[in-house]
Amino acid sequence: MNRLNQLPTLRINPSEKLSLSYRGKSYQGVAGDTVATALYANGVRVFARSLKYHRPRGLYSLDGECSNTCMDVNSIPNIRTENTLLKDGMVVKEQNVMGSADRDWLSFIDKLDWMMPAGFYYKTMHKPASMWPVAMKQIRKAAGLGVISADYQMKGQYDELFLKAEVTVIGGGAAGMTAALAAAESGQRVVLLESRPHLGGCFDYRVSATGDGTPLYERARELAEKVEQTGNIRVFKHTSMVGAYNNNLITGFQVGNADDVFTERYIEIRSNSVVVATGCIERPLIFDHNERPGVMQAGCAHRMARTYGLLPGSEAVFSVGHDLGLEAAVDLFDLGLKINCVADIREDGQNAELMLALAERKIPVLKGWVASKAHGSKKVEKVTLSTVEGTVKRDFPCDLLVASAGLTPVTGPFILAQAKMGYDSHTGYFLPTELPAKMFPAGRITGINNPGSIEASGRLAGLKAAAAAGADMGKTVADAEKAASTLPGPERGCKLVTAPVKGRKSFICFDEDTTIKNIKQAIDMGFDVPELIKRFTSAGTGPGQGGIPGHNLPLFVAKYTASINTPVPTTVRPPLVPTFLATYAGYNHHMFKHTPLNDSQKADGGIFRNIGVWQRARYFSDDFECKEEILNVRNNVGMLDGSTLGKFRIHGPDALKAFQRVYVSDMSKVKEGRIKYSAMCNDDGCVMDDGVVVKLGENDYYFTTSSGRAGQTVEWIRYHTRFDGWDFHLVNLTDAMGVINLSGPNARKVLAKVVDIDLSNEAFPFSGYKEFFIKDTIFVRAMRLGFVGEISYELHVPSSCTQAVWDMLKEAGAEFGIRNFGVEAQNVLRMEKCHIILGQESEQRTNLLDVGLGFLWDRKKADAKTVGAVALRQAEKDVGRLKLVGISMEDDTRAAREGALIVDNKVRGYVATMRKSFTTGEAVGMALVESQLADKGTRLEIFEDECNGVRLYARVVPMPFYDPTGERMKN
Amino acid sequence: MALTLTCPVCGKRNGYEFRYGGEDKGPRPAEAGLTPRAWCDYVHMNKCTAGVQKEWWFHRDGCGSWFTTWRDTTNNLEVEQPEASK
Amino acid sequence: MGEIKRESPVRFTASPTKSEVRDNWTVALEYDEEGQGPWLVDLAHKTRWDLQDNKVGEQRPGDLTVPSAPGDCTFANNTLVNRMNRTQASIYHLGAAAPAMPDFSGYTDVTESTVFLALFGPNAFFIAEKLASLDFLDPAKTAPFLYQGPFCHVPCQIVTLEKAADGAGGFLLTCSRGYGDSMVHAILEAGVEFGLRPAGENCFNTWAQGLQG
Repeated sequence: MNRLNQLPTLRINPSEKLSLSYRGKSYQGVAGDTVATALYANGVRVFARSLKYHRPRGLYSLDGECSNTCMDVNSIPNIRTENTLLKDGMVVKEQNVMGSADRDWLSFIDKLDWMMPAGFYYKTMHKPASMWPVAMKQIRKAAGLGVISADYQMKGQYDELFLKAEVTVIGGGAAGMTAALAAAESGQRVVLLESRPHLGGCFDYRVSATGDGTPLYERARELAEKVEQTGNIRVFKHTSMVGAYNNNLITGFQVGNADDVFTERYIEIRSNSVVVATGCIERPLIFDHNERPGVMQAGCAHRMARTYGLLPGSEAVFSVGHDLGLEAAVDLFDLGLKINCVADIREDGQNAELMLALAERKIPVLKGWVASKAHGSKKVEKVTLSTVEGTVKRDFPCDLLVASAGLTPVTGPFILAQAKMGYDSHTGYFLPTELPAKMFPAGRITGINNPGSIEASGRLAGLKAAAAAGADMGKTVADAEKAASTLPGPERGCKLVTAPVKGRKSFICFDEDTTIKNIKQAIDMGFDVPELIKRFTSAGTGPGQGGIPGHNLPLFVAKYTASINTPVPTTVRPPLVPTFLATYAGYNHHMFKHTPLNDSQKADGGIFRNIGVWQRARYFSDDFECKEEILNVRNNVGMLDGSTLGKFRIHGPDALKAFQRVYVSDMSKVKEGRIKYSAMCNDDGCVMDDGVVVKLGENDYYFTTSSGRAGQTVEWIRYHTRFDGWDFHLVNLTDAMGVINLSGPNARKVLAKVVDIDLSNEAFPFSGYKEFFIKDTIFVRAMRLGFVGEISYELHVPSSCTQAVWDMLKEAGAEFGIRNFGVEAQNVLRMEKCHIILGQESEQRTNLLDVGLGFLWDRKKADAKTVGAVALRQAEKDVGRLKLVGISMEDDTRAAREGALIVDNKVRGYVATMRKSFTTGEAVGMALVESQLADKGTRLEIFEDECNGVRLYARVVPMPFYDPTGERMKN
Repeated sequence: MALTLTCPVCGKRNGYEFRYGGEDKGPRPAEAGLTPRAWCDYVHMNKCTAGVQKEWWFHRDGCGSWFTTWRDTTNNLEVEQPEASK
Repeated sequence: MGEIKRESPVRFTASPTKSEVRDNWTVALEYDEEGQGPWLVDLAHKTRWDLQDNKVGEQRPGDLTVPSAPGDCTFANNTLVNRMNRTQASIYHLGAAAPAMPDFSGYTDVTESTVFLALFGPNAFFIAEKLASLDFLDPAKTAPFLYQGPFCHVPCQIVTLEKAADGAGGFLLTCSRGYGDSMVHAILEAGVEFGLRPAGENCFNTWAQGLQG
C-alpha cells in the first residue's frame, strides 16, 4: 500500500523500515507504525475474531478502546496492536480463531446467536448439574481471548519511578500542554503524562486553523517544543495513567522506546494538585453490523491518513454526528479519498465553513440521516443509510464506513478519584457534579471543541492547580478565567445513540459481543440499573474497559426504559488500561540481609535458606538430617553463625522501668558479670520473645532478642511505654555485632588458644558474661550459654571483625576437627535439650505458662504493670489450655512431621518439633497437647496429612532427652 | 498506597511506612482491683468508628516514633483534630 | 594468624587501583574509570555515633552544635550532626580519622551497625527516585537535611548534602549493615542508565570538601 509520505503531520519515518512476521510471512512496516497500522499497510483488514460469535473484527479506534485488534505479539496474548508501537522483528499471531482470522471455522457460531440470549451462560447450563463441566469445557474452548502459555517467562526490563511534583497534568494535548506551561510559570514542579508516543492530542493530526491561522498540528508542535524546553516540566510520553487515588496519588506506566533501559516502567506520582486533560474518545454509532471490518471512527480514519500516511480505504461513506467527522471528510477527500456520501445525524447546527467546504468538493451531505446497516460478510461492501426516523432508506457502495455518533469525555480519572458523576444534557456527557479536592478539568473533557477555548481552559486549569498547590498566582487566575469566559463554551452534543434498528446484530460492546438485543432482553428480565445490566450482559467488562459502551449503555438503558430520571453512569476501576503484572511488579528487588560471615559460610559449603529478612546457612552437607554436624558438636566442637540474633542497648534514667514493663521477670535482679534469661509476653500473656540481658551499668543494659523479633523490638518497647513519658533510649545493634557460637566439649580448649582470659569454670562459669579484647584490637562480649546443651561460648564481636575472629577460631580448632554447624543442626541439638524456640514450640495463642516458662514470671511487681501479667494471672486457673510435653515415638525409626495433629476422636494438640535423635537413638520431640494428655506415659495418637488412615503413636516422656542434669553445659 | 500520615518528626509520608497501633484507649489501667472483664475490654474492645477517630501509628520505616493522629475511616484521609476533642 | 582485617559490608565487583590500610580497614581511594559521575562510594570505615539524651541539644559532638529541629543537620570540620528527633542525633565523621568518643553515656558507636554509602554527581536524584518515594528535591528543603525513611524498601537515614533541580547533587545513606549486598546491587542496577560507577574515597573527599567551602 502506498503511503502518503510527504504529509507534515506524519509521526512515522517512512525511510526507516522495520520487519514483522505474521502468519509465517514477513511483512514490512516503518518506524512510528503501530503493529496494526503496519499490518493494515500490508492489506490486513481482519485482525481478530470476536469473543463469542467469532465475528470478523477490524481496525476501529486507534487508542485501544476495544479488543478488535488484540493479537498475540511475541507470545504475549491480548496485545492491543493498534496502539502498540512496532519493533523490528516482532512475531504476530491471531488469537481465538480456528483456522485464521480471515477464515475461521467457528464463524458459524454467529448464526447461533438466537441460542445465546443475555445471561444464557448462567441460565441454561446448570441442569442437569453433571452437564456443566462438559459444557464449560467446550464453551471455554470456543470463547475467549488469547491463550497464556503456562511456562512463558516474561522478557524485558521492568522498573519503577516514584515522582514528586506540585502539579500533575494527565493528557498531553493542547489543553494539557497549556495547563502544564501555566502551572510551570509558578516555578513549581510539573509532571505531564501523555499516553500516545507524542504530544499533541487532537491537534496533532489536524490541518484546520486556529484563530490566528496557524494549522492546529503546527500549534501542537509549538506547544510541545515549549513544554519540552521548560525546565520544571517533566514530560512522560507513551505513558498511560491507570490509577487515581485519594490524596491525589496518580499511577501509570510508561512504555520504553528501543533505546530505553526499560521495557515498561511503573510510575507513581504524589502531587498536590492534578489537571485532568484527557480529552474525548468517540462515541460509537450503533447500527446493524456496526463493527464490520471497514467500519471505523472518524478520528481513526483521519489519523490513519495524517499520522501514519495510510488512506484507510478508497471509497467511503461517512455517518457522523459531530463537526470533527465533517472535518475528517473534507481533509480525507483532499488527501484522495472518494466520498460517496456524508450522513450527519444532526438536522442542523453544523459548522458553516465545513458545510461550505463539503459543498465545494461536491460531497453529497444528508442531514438527519444515519447508517442503519453495513453489508459485506468480512469487509464492508455497501451501507444502508436511513433517515433517523427510519422512514426512508438508501444504499451506497463503499469499502470504508466512517461512523461516529459523537464524543465521549474520558472521565476515568474523576471516577477513580471518587467524584460524583451526573448527566449533562447540553453536552450529553457524564461529567463530575462535584470535583475532587485539588483536581481540575481542562480541554475537551469539559465539552468544548473550539481550539482557542481548549487552550484557554488549559491555562486556567494549570493556574488553578498551581494555586491549589500553594503557589501565589496573584491576579493571573482571575485574568485567565475572564479570558476563557469570552470564548465559545461547551457545544451541544448529538443525542442519538442507536440507528433505527431492531438490534440483533447491533453491537453495544465489541469485546463481549453484547448486542442491543441482549440489553433489551436483560431489561425485559427486570434489570433496570446500568451497573447490573453491565454485569449480567458483561457489556463493558472486556479489555477496552468500557471504551465502547461507556456512555452508550446507560444512555440506551435510559431511553429503552423510558426513564424519567437522568441517566446513571457505570463505573470504572483501575487499571484504566490493561497493564502487565510484570509492570506492576517492577524492579522487584529482593532485599535480604547477609551476616558478616556470609561469604565464608558459602565457601564452606553452606546451603542457604531465607529465614525472615536474613539468608542463613541451614545445612553444611547434602545430609539434611545433619548427623555429622550434630555429632561433632556433641563429641567435639562446632561453630555456628548466630549473627542474626537481635542485639540492643538500652540506656537512660528510666531504662530499668521500661524493662520491668516488658520483661516478665524482675529485672532489678540482673547482676553485673552474669546473664539473665527472660521473656516478653503480649497483653494476653502469650509469649512473644525471649533472650538474655546483661547489665553494663546503672540503667544501662545490653540485651538480645530472637532473630525474627529484632525488627519489632524498639516498636514493642516504645508501644508499651507510650503513655509514660519515661526517659530511656534504645540503640539497635543487631547488625553491629556478628555472633559466633562455639560449642562442644572441646570449645574451651579452642577458645583458650585465641583469648588470654581465664576460661576456667570458676572464672567464667555457665551464665557468665565477660568483656575482653582479642589482640588488643577486637572488642568481644562473651556469654556462656547452653542452648545446644554443651559447653558453649557465644562471642559477640564487631561485624567488620567477625570474619577475622571466625578464622582465628577455625585455625585454633583445626587440631580438634572443628567444623561448621548450621541452623538445622542447632535445631536438633536444642530440641534434644528441650530448649524451646518461640514460634516453633509456640504459636499465637501459646502463653508463658503453656511452654513451661512460668518460672520466669515475677508476680510481685504489679506497679510495673508488666505486659501480660494480668492475663497470666487469669490463665493460671484455666484448665483448658495446651501444655508443652516431650514425646517419644513408639517406632524409633519414624519421627512425626512438624504440625502433625494429636487426635483421639477430635484434635487434641499438635507436634511442634520432632526429629530422629542421633544422640539418644530415639525419635523424640515436643508437642503442645491438652493438659489431660500431658501426664508422663500417656499414649498419643498422631494424624499426619496423607496418612491414609494409618495413625502413628507416641508416648509422653520426661524432658529433656539429653543430659537432664545439665552437667555437660555447666562444667 | 494512597494513605498518607503526618509523622510529628518526619512530616507527611506514605502510609506504608507506618504500622497501625489501634484506637487510642488511654494509658494502661492499674492492676489493683482490675476485673478480667475490664482488662479484656481494654485490650480487645474497639469502637470501630465510621468517621473520625483518634488512633496510634508507628513510623516503622522512619524515625521510629509512636504518635496519635485523627483519621476519617470512611475515606482514609487524615484530618485535623476535631474541635470537640481539643 | 595474620594481621586483623576489617571487612566492609559493601563489595564492588571492580577492584580499586589505589587503596590504603587505615585502622585495619582497607580503604579504596581510587577505581579504574570512575567516569564523570554519578558515583557510588563505600564509606563503611567512617566512624558514626548515635547520641541519645533527654537534653540532646546541649551536647556538642566534635565541637558542633546539635541542630534544634528534627531533620536539620550541621556540617563543618568534616563532621555531620543530624538531628533525628526530640532526643536523638546521629554523628558522621567524614574525615580521615575520628576523635575519641566523648565520655558520656548517651553516645554509642554505631559504625558497625550500618552500611554507609555516598551517591553523588549528575542525575543522582534521578537514580534515587527509582528506588524511593522520598521527596529529595522538595523546594522547601535546603541541604543539608536528613530523611529517615525507606530506600528500596529498607529503612534508612539519608542526608542530602547537595541538590539541584536538574537532579544533580548527592546524599549519604545508612541502613542496617546486613543489607549491604542487596542495597549496592539495587542502587548500581538502577544507576546503569545514568552511568553510575563505584568510586574511591578521593572522589568523595573532593565533593565533600567543596561542600564545606
